[in-house]
Amino acid sequence: MHKHIVRLLTLIAVVAVVAFSARYLARQDTFYQYGHYRGASVAEIASKLPKHQGSATCQTCHKEIYAEWSSGIHQKATKNNAIQGVVIKSGPGCEVCHTPAGNHPSKEAMPLSVEDRVTTITYARKGLHPANVPDRSLMREPADMRILCTNCHEKIPGRPVRGAVAGTSVPVQAVTDVVGIHGVPQVVVEGHGGAELCTTCHNPHSPRINFASVPRSPVDPKTGKALPVSAEKPGDAAAGKTVAAMCAGCHGEAGVSVNPEWPNLAGQHTNYLSDSIKAFKTGARKNDMMGPMAAGLSDADMRNVAAYFAKANCSVPGGDKAKAELGKAKAAAAGCAACHSSGGLRGNGVSGVSGAQAWPNLAGQNAAYLTIALKAFQDGSRNHAVMTSVAKTLSASDIDNLAAYYASASCK
Amino acid sequence: MTTQDTKVEKEAAKLSRRDFLGLLGKGAACAGAVAGAGAALASAGGANKLGGVGPTYQQEDAQYAEARKNPPKIPNYNWTEHKWAFGVDTNRCIGCLRCVEACKMENSVQMDRNHTRTWVERYTYLEGSDHAHVDSIHDIKNVMPGSKETRFVFDNRYKDAKVTKSFFVPKLCNQCEKPSCVQVCPTGATYKTPDGPVLIDSKYCIGCQYCVQACPYGARSLNHERGTAEKCNWCYHRITKGLNPACVEVCPTGTRIFGDRTDPESPISQFIRNNRVNVLKPDMGNMPNVFYAGIDKEVL
Amino acid sequence: MSADVFHHIAPFVGFTYPNETEVPWSELIVIYPYITGLVAGAFVVSSLHHVFGMERFAPISRFALLASLCFMFFAPTPLLFHLGQPTRALNAVITPHWTSAMAAFGYVAGFYVCLLLLEVWFSFRADIVAMSKSRTGIMQKVYKALTLGSDDVSKSALAVDHKIARRLAMIGIPGACGLHGYVGFLFGSLKTREWWSSDLMPIIFLLSAVGSGVGLLIVLYVVTSWWRKKPTDNGVMEGLLYVLWTGIVVVVVIEALEMVQMIYKAREGVEGVFELIAGPIHLGMIIQWGGSFLALAITSIMMLAGTRGRALVFWLFISGLLMMVGVLAMRWNVVIGGQELSKTMRGLLTYHPEVIGRESLMVVATLFTAPFVTLYLAQKLLPTVWEHDAKAHH
Repeated sequence: MHKHIVRLLTLIAVVAVVAFSARYLARQDTFYQYGHYRGASVAEIASKLPKHQGSATCQTCHKEIYAEWSSGIHQKATKNNAIQGVVIKSGPGCEVCHTPAGNHPSKEAMPLSVEDRVTTITYARKGLHPANVPDRSLMREPADMRILCTNCHEKIPGRPVRGAVAGTSVPVQAVTDVVGIHGVPQVVVEGHGGAELCTTCHNPHSPRINFASVPRSPVDPKTGKALPVSAEKPGDAAAGKTVAAMCAGCHGEAGVSVNPEWPNLAGQHTNYLSDSIKAFKTGARKNDMMGPMAAGLSDADMRNVAAYFAKANCSVPGGDKAKAELGKAKAAAAGCAACHSSGGLRGNGVSGVSGAQAWPNLAGQNAAYLTIALKAFQDGSRNHAVMTSVAKTLSASDIDNLAAYYASASCK
Repeated sequence: MTTQDTKVEKEAAKLSRRDFLGLLGKGAACAGAVAGAGAALASAGGANKLGGVGPTYQQEDAQYAEARKNPPKIPNYNWTEHKWAFGVDTNRCIGCLRCVEACKMENSVQMDRNHTRTWVERYTYLEGSDHAHVDSIHDIKNVMPGSKETRFVFDNRYKDAKVTKSFFVPKLCNQCEKPSCVQVCPTGATYKTPDGPVLIDSKYCIGCQYCVQACPYGARSLNHERGTAEKCNWCYHRITKGLNPACVEVCPTGTRIFGDRTDPESPISQFIRNNRVNVLKPDMGNMPNVFYAGIDKEVL
Repeated sequence: MSADVFHHIAPFVGFTYPNETEVPWSELIVIYPYITGLVAGAFVVSSLHHVFGMERFAPISRFALLASLCFMFFAPTPLLFHLGQPTRALNAVITPHWTSAMAAFGYVAGFYVCLLLLEVWFSFRADIVAMSKSRTGIMQKVYKALTLGSDDVSKSALAVDHKIARRLAMIGIPGACGLHGYVGFLFGSLKTREWWSSDLMPIIFLLSAVGSGVGLLIVLYVVTSWWRKKPTDNGVMEGLLYVLWTGIVVVVVIEALEMVQMIYKAREGVEGVFELIAGPIHLGMIIQWGGSFLALAITSIMMLAGTRGRALVFWLFISGLLMMVGVLAMRWNVVIGGQELSKTMRGLLTYHPEVIGRESLMVVATLFTAPFVTLYLAQKLLPTVWEHDAKAHH
């Protein structure tokens, strides 16, 4: 054989031997142990630390809030994953809204998992994943509160509607117009609470408005301060006085109506007043007298006149005492205080003075007017997502009693 | 099917698998097309047809014996004692997307709308149309404004439209019995475990993204920070500790159901027993392990 | 997390899966089958002389071989640039998972590089030995090393070389077909994508590869002849015309058959295919089919009219260029188009390549220029590649 062929074959043999031994030496020990993969990788993947720790771990420190949650509807839906009928019940735990606990309350970053530690030369700027950031705030920004709630509770086509699955009993909840099959209430956001945060009325840990829940006024969950009510540019009361002259014929110069069937305006919330006039102007609310009156007013006029009447001193027309007693009990049972008490549902506030600017004060209102208003909600001639459904639960005598109660309540 | 039949079928599967592996060994030196063609056939054997515990996809009997004898060192867990499965009851889904965000946090998934281990699709039929409009989290309108693509919420775009039918369908990796992604992985960086999930060895993956192409369900993506493939593994680190996957943990409606099929009273066993369940794209032949109740003809 | 992560994000219409909005295989994977195609095509032309003894190809057979080798060196580079973990690339060779069409790549490519190296070495050995004696300084050492320390250029040794070279080339032809058919299989075997999932895919890839390889050789031959101020060989040009014409005819027919089949079967989602053709890849389709038909028309007319001389050189050069561009467009339409049609078959994505970056047109341009530069250097190293110039055919 020629020399160059021998040399070449030798070279090829050397290269082949080097390549094959390199291939063998480079192979990981546990490769092919369980299959065509690195057997050790299974335990590596399983060794990652969980970041969602479950609601029970929150209980250790946050006892009160945990108690609120565990007595409320958000927990009740859970029922420990009990299987009911054909489906399995579950409910939102702490980490659904608060993001995973990770190693909270440690100030250290979450230990990086096997995959997190993997780097590559094709991507140099490796940042800490938001989930691993040390001392990560576990609460969303308070401004997000409404979005958090509407994530589940906004009425959107596609969310299951009541009765879609046979054989499930659905609790009818007074404050919502549609109820999901599994008791996930769906809310048309406009008209339900206006611009208010959901937490103004609802305790996020136990959101159903009933008197069994733990009293708790709506606060900023981060700072502990009271949540702000919506701030609209204030009207000018002095300028409003000239506008108020045209109202005086019916509502009195000082906002106390001459006819009990017409509402007192003195001391009423400004936003409610201007919103109402606006509603008359747009036709959203209909009244033969108010429609033409409102038509001529500008937005500034509305705010000014609202400010004028809001500053006026309210008075208490009073009502039947026996009926008022019955009405007080009914107000408690029907959940009126959720909106129409300055403390909300759970705080100690002035009954009949609304917690939010968008809703009317009822204390010191004329009983006859209140009766007319509730009946209007009942028969649909006046519409409001919450009030319409609440009014439908009231009997004629309930309405009488409630009207008497609020008419005699102190408005200060 | 009688026991006899089952045995015969098992023997046949074993035989064919060995034959093809032998063929592959010889074919290794030959052109890749030959190996590939043999591979496609080989993948037909080896899959665990009955869904019970046993040798899994592309696992030889000796390797399964090793898996039983020396299981991976995971505390209080033996992977040959479980057979995990996942259920999705689409009748219950409200599209709150808590699962998507929880998964991204739990598994350090890239925080953007184009990489996700699990997602929810919204199907909407408008009046007069026989086809559904479908949207999901990769639609910018479903990203929460100002959240830099870290948070998601379905917008109310059909509020004023005439909707005849609409529903949400959560999607995730199907952990198929015959996973196409495992079939095409050139290195063995992804594999099927005896307890069900298909895992990714992110210390071994080369990032070629062939698996991303091969998955019929779009469940895989590339994690740029790691340079490796990424997909749902049913939170293998959680289920091996007796916890539910993160998405099941946070699902507020019980849409997502998880459990062990070897336990007849587990949620998943009850779910499969009590519902008429379906899988996605059954014609692909992948034999998915995520079972859906209440899906529609439009769901792909 | 910075925003520049999203470099492959493609806008979409209709219904796609979220993860699909990042197109996994970029323009680098377009250029990869293109380069391997050129390798296969150039090798086939070189073999026409080496194996089948077609003397008319003698003037360019060694050049074709060298071109094939230079392009083969760079065939794996687009893949390396594309990997998320390029430092682990050898994992696929250390533990090849044979059920993956991709696992064999390292072996197939390695085998083919070795084969080409050997073929080149045997073809040029006598010249290397000669240069190891005539040159001085460092280049002498290089040539000495290349001779493997044997300066045996006896008649019997050269006869053995010739015999081995021919046998290697005989292995090389199925090797080249395997290499490229295999790339087609890599795409065609994916059941996920309707646009790829075709039994004809390996054949289409192979035939278009031969077409583009011949086109490349025509372009290289004409340009280098002009560069060296030497006339082109008529016999070579005629031969290349025949090969190119055959290649174009078969490619056009098979590709048309594939399209017709897909449309005629009209499986679920065929509307998506129509939309894909009319939408994101319409420009690519125009270039692919326009280029092919134009090249087909020009070569057919030249075949009929028996064109010779300068007209043949010019129009064959144009046809070769059209074929190269057409096949490049075809690679784009297959690789990118396949990913632009969603796996749901009900949505379309539009891929926008990056201009600068790791996966970008700039890198593609660089990687595609590199083989030409290497070829220039290689013919400096082995200048005898044009030795047949002297005995030009007439």
